[in-house]
Amino acid sequence: MSPIPEATPELVSGVILAIVAFLSISIFLGVFFRKKTKTFEQWLVGHGDIGPIVTGFALIASYLSGWAIFGNAGLSYTYGWSGSWLIGTICIMGITLCLVLGYRMRRYVKLGARTVPEMLKVRFESRGIQALAGLTMIILLIVYSVGQYKAMATVWTITTKTPFQWSLLATALLVLFYIAVGGYTGTQWVSCFQGILLTAVGWTLGIVALFWAGGPATIVESLKTQTYTAPGGDPSNISLEGYVLPLSSPKYLAFPGVDWIGVTATIFMFLLMATGFPHNIARFLGTRKVTKREYWVMLLIVIVGGLTPLWIGVVGFAGRKVWGNVLMTDTQYAPMYGDAVGALVSMSAGGTPLASLFAASVFAASVATLAGMVMIMATNITRDFIHNIKPTIPPKKLLWLTRLMLVPFIAIPLWWTLTSPPPVLSELMAGSAVAQAGIFFFVVGVSMYWRRATKWGAVAALIYGLVITILHPKAYGKLLGLYHWGYWALALMIGSATLYFLVSLATTPLKEEKLEKMFF
Amino acid sequence: MNTWVYLIIVVMALCIILIPIVAYLFGGWYAYWGHALLAIIFAVMAILLKTRFYWEED
Repeated sequence: MSPIPEATPELVSGVILAIVAFLSISIFLGVFFRKKTKTFEQWLVGHGDIGPIVTGFALIASYLSGWAIFGNAGLSYTYGWSGSWLIGTICIMGITLCLVLGYRMRRYVKLGARTVPEMLKVRFESRGIQALAGLTMIILLIVYSVGQYKAMATVWTITTKTPFQWSLLATALLVLFYIAVGGYTGTQWVSCFQGILLTAVGWTLGIVALFWAGGPATIVESLKTQTYTAPGGDPSNISLEGYVLPLSSPKYLAFPGVDWIGVTATIFMFLLMATGFPHNIARFLGTRKVTKREYWVMLLIVIVGGLTPLWIGVVGFAGRKVWGNVLMTDTQYAPMYGDAVGALVSMSAGGTPLASLFAASVFAASVATLAGMVMIMATNITRDFIHNIKPTIPPKKLLWLTRLMLVPFIAIPLWWTLTSPPPVLSELMAGSAVAQAGIFFFVVGVSMYWRRATKWGAVAALIYGLVITILHPKAYGKLLGLYHWGYWALALMIGSATLYFLVSLATTPLKEEKLEKMFF
Repeated sequence: MNTWVYLIIVVMALCIILIPIVAYLFGGWYAYWGHALLAIIFAVMAILLKTRFYWEED
């Protein structure tokens, strides 16, 4: 058995060098393209001239967060094959739906929309729905941000031996730094670079890990002999061999892979969530008109990039084969547990070069997604609330106000992660993902194509989705006896969809002449 | 909608339905990468639908 590696001075230097190199390139691209930005509006959506390759990789970068590029290894390590459902082996389906539906955002940009909630204001001629959607995004993105913090802080802890809490603070400072010097513009070009980096490193690490563990067949044989161990707990007698993990205790029913109901819910989640993520669909705000051939190019990028999460999952399987369940039982890995496996395999299988590149990739995925979400939350306040109420505020003031709002939206999820880090980060993020999928796939994605949608249908879906989100099995659901993630997720997604369609059909849509400018 | 559109939608629906079936019947790496293959077929069908039958010009 290959020993579990520890950080060395050489590795610390490599990680710092890789992150500095990543930051330098991102800052160069951010500052270079920011020079072309003259107004607050241009800063929000650019010039509408972004091509298909940049859009494709930017979409991949915004989709591949700390969950996909890092948490997936923890899922396969912790849950075996049943972890595959949250790894998102079918994520290409969802990203493609986003590619198909999201392109119409361009139409709303021409009608004056500059943010996703503002698109809803244009679509339904309602400032109220803009504000409500903005508020919903803030709540859900804060939860999603916690996972990004844990991913980056875990890599930082493993590779530099810094205590976890200090790693979290370092992550927060890096986010502030990243935003302050120009990366915060979130330009498609920075995201494109990140998408290429994540894809290249994810594929390389996955393939290297597969050989490091002795090949695919030995991993299959090894998983047949291993059993589930809860983070910090004792080994059970439940085999990791199957695609469902029949955990019976109520507290474990929050894991989607416990039965086929949970599995069905994850399939729906991955179909809807890429379109439901506001930071994904916003990638199309600055896209230029593309040809049919270019659409196929974007699909190719989505396929290559969308296989990256599967390769990260392979890393976790490899780690489980080589080290068994030691990361779940050894207290030195708390509170990271199985989530530590990605960084450890990169160190053991790839040495300093690959471990450094992997750390930079997790940094890219976590911090860039975090920065993007922080920006969305900050603009939710300034553009969708303040500007909504008082449109006469000068754009320069709004820009400064947006910068000020970055601080609380960096601090809130940081405090959450410091005081109560999630044991398996992807599980927590899946809660937020279900809500974003169930709510925004319909409210944003479907509303762009369905003439009959009404603001009341959208409002009903938003409010219902938020209420059911609070009833997550690991939040308040358990107080009502709702322990099963699958039932909860299906209730949220199917309930939101049903309300959206039924209430829309029962209420009056916009007049035809108003709809004409959006549907032609 | 013409027959081709219906056919493409049926293939896309089949890709979704086959996901748990492949996991149940085959498991292991076959299901893991089989899911990716189903997702790619679904994606190709979706783009085919958009570019051949529902292309929108500005």
